[in-house]
Amino acid sequence: MSTKHTSDGYHRLWDRFRSFRRELTERTPSLTRSQVAYLLISPFFVLFGLFLLFPIVYTIYLSFFEYQGVGDGRLFYVDLGPIFFEVPRIAELQFVGFGNYTSMLADGLFWQSMFNTTYILAIQVPIMIGLALALALALNAGFVRFKGVFRTAIALPVSANIVAYSTIFLILFNETGFINYLLSVVGVQPIEWMRSEFWARKTIVGAVTWRWTGYNMIILLAGLQTIPQQLYEAAEIDGASRWEKFRYVTLPQLKPVLLFVVVLSTIGTFKLFAEPYVITGGGPTNATITIVQYIYEEAFVGSPNLGYASALTVVFVAIVSVISIVQIKIGGDD
Amino acid sequence: MARIDITDLVKVYDSGDESIVAVEDLDLGVKDGEFLVLVGPSGCGKSTTLRCIAGLEDVTEGSIHFGDREVTDLRGSERDVAMVFQNYALYPHMTVRQNIGFGLKLSSSLPSAEIAERVESVAEMLGITPLLDDKPKELSGGQQQRVALGRAIVREPAVFLMDEPLSNLDAKLRAEMRTELQELQHDLDVTTVYVTHDQTEAMAMGDRIAVMNDGILQQVGPPEDVYRSPANEFVATFIGSPSINLLTAEVDGTTLSGPAGFTYELSNPEPVEGRSRVRVGVRPEDITLVKGGSNRATVSVVEPMGNENFCYMELGEHELTARIDPTLRPQAGEEVAFAFDESALYLFDVDTGEALKTKTDAVAAGIGTEAR
Repeated sequence: MSTKHTSDGYHRLWDRFRSFRRELTERTPSLTRSQVAYLLISPFFVLFGLFLLFPIVYTIYLSFFEYQGVGDGRLFYVDLGPIFFEVPRIAELQFVGFGNYTSMLADGLFWQSMFNTTYILAIQVPIMIGLALALALALNAGFVRFKGVFRTAIALPVSANIVAYSTIFLILFNETGFINYLLSVVGVQPIEWMRSEFWARKTIVGAVTWRWTGYNMIILLAGLQTIPQQLYEAAEIDGASRWEKFRYVTLPQLKPVLLFVVVLSTIGTFKLFAEPYVITGGGPTNATITIVQYIYEEAFVGSPNLGYASALTVVFVAIVSVISIVQIKIGGDD
Repeated sequence: MARIDITDLVKVYDSGDESIVAVEDLDLGVKDGEFLVLVGPSGCGKSTTLRCIAGLEDVTEGSIHFGDREVTDLRGSERDVAMVFQNYALYPHMTVRQNIGFGLKLSSSLPSAEIAERVESVAEMLGITPLLDDKPKELSGGQQQRVALGRAIVREPAVFLMDEPLSNLDAKLRAEMRTELQELQHDLDVTTVYVTHDQTEAMAMGDRIAVMNDGILQQVGPPEDVYRSPANEFVATFIGSPSINLLTAEVDGTTLSGPAGFTYELSNPEPVEGRSRVRVGVRPEDITLVKGGSNRATVSVVEPMGNENFCYMELGEHELTARIDPTLRPQAGEEVAFAFDESALYLFDVDTGEALKTKTDAVAAGIGTEAR
């Protein structure tokens, strides 16, 4: 019967596979339990080392050098007769010690970009989180109808491509753009959004807030929904007013989520790049150039200054880390 | 302290086009200082009633008075009630001290030294002084329960409301707390409404119990009255453990004949006059196993409780339960004869479930009024 033949063929194939497998097992050196474990987790460490650890370490390394162009020649080579390979020099470097760091102190544009970033951060993050919290509270309240529709609409900007939405902001806030048209309709003088230092920064604040408020609102809303209803009932019985319920139940219960949102937003805004790059180009006269934008320009625009850019990056990461740690220390669980 | 008067209370939940009547035309008075237990199966409206009294739910119709004060439209925070929740609802971020003192801090104008003093004394009364600076998550269920009680007691409210406060405790602790709670309520003399689905708890704790089913108040009365003279078949079934035995019997003059050859001769047929069928009820403790007799059933299981045995028997399709002497050990499959006194018999209307006859056996001397 044909089925029997097929089944015989199948068994024969299976037996061959088994003998092959046995042979393979015998030939390969046996590994201990822990060796197997290390082998299995090694892909992560290889990828981590190659794409995360090496760039980090190399950035710190670079920050002590002056970059003088793409390297030629080789860093070192291995010659084992038939096997020969060489590691080429990545860059032509001149050791400068802490030179990059000391010159930062006297770099006006560095301080300008630090100031710009802090200024935007100090206005944008409180406004955005306040707004996100207010929206989350409103959506969490019983009386609001069409919650799903509002929730989706408010969260939608998160899905916008950063360059695309920045471009739309650029068009809207153009001197002859739609916003100024609306202002003229209600009889307000057009505002020089891009040419005024004050308004350029506010435009950036507005854009970032538009993009990220919904995202934070969703996180806060999720946090609000985990607060047990009975706590509010207990507070009601205890004689709490609406404000007292917010003050004594909502805020303390939401604290971990709120802290998460604050830290995340602070880091996010500190890393601001695409919006000022597209909308204001860092102008007018560097009034909106952010620290990351400055790093980018040092590193890749004009004559590349990788050593200095790396030093800037190290300082930037240090500042962000310190701010985050301070926030977590202050707001963290007691 | 206050009397509670609930008049024609109706609570309807509207969800879209569907409306659910949770409580229907409830009239209930709770005397000053009384411990009233609201009892019934899940979804009977007992918790809703309690929440209406607390001010956590709007009342659809009817009114609620505390003493002479109408509170129907007052917010919960303005009613001067304290409530103990089933899962305690302690504020997780506050210490025990803050939890207990929170209500006083918000709703009274007492100076903080006075509040601290009151919190201390309540904590001492409940034996939780060493826990005052702990957070709720560090406490056991029983300790959390005490904190929740403390939070209610410290307010010295007009009314105590308790929503199944013992149901999250294990059986032993529950029995202990039951006694303690009763003593506490007796000492404080605060009008208390206590909700439970556990009829044993209701019987044990209530000065009076109010039995609810399907949003309708079935009966209110002292526990023994409700047990001995239930208003209807539902109350008879719900109160008492193990449950009352019930079967449908045909009436023929003075003879009741039920399934599997069950017959009973009534000496007073007055309650069944003019009826062709009737529901017959007998409490498990009123059934005795006898030698010889016309009513026979087959033993299916005997559960030894130590002080008594529960004997489950089959009478045709029906299951009968008898509480028998622990020395009696009928075997499974054995056929036994059983009997009961007419004075212990309950009779209910077949359609409405209304009680036609309840226990008439004398309340034995020694537990009756004579003994007091």
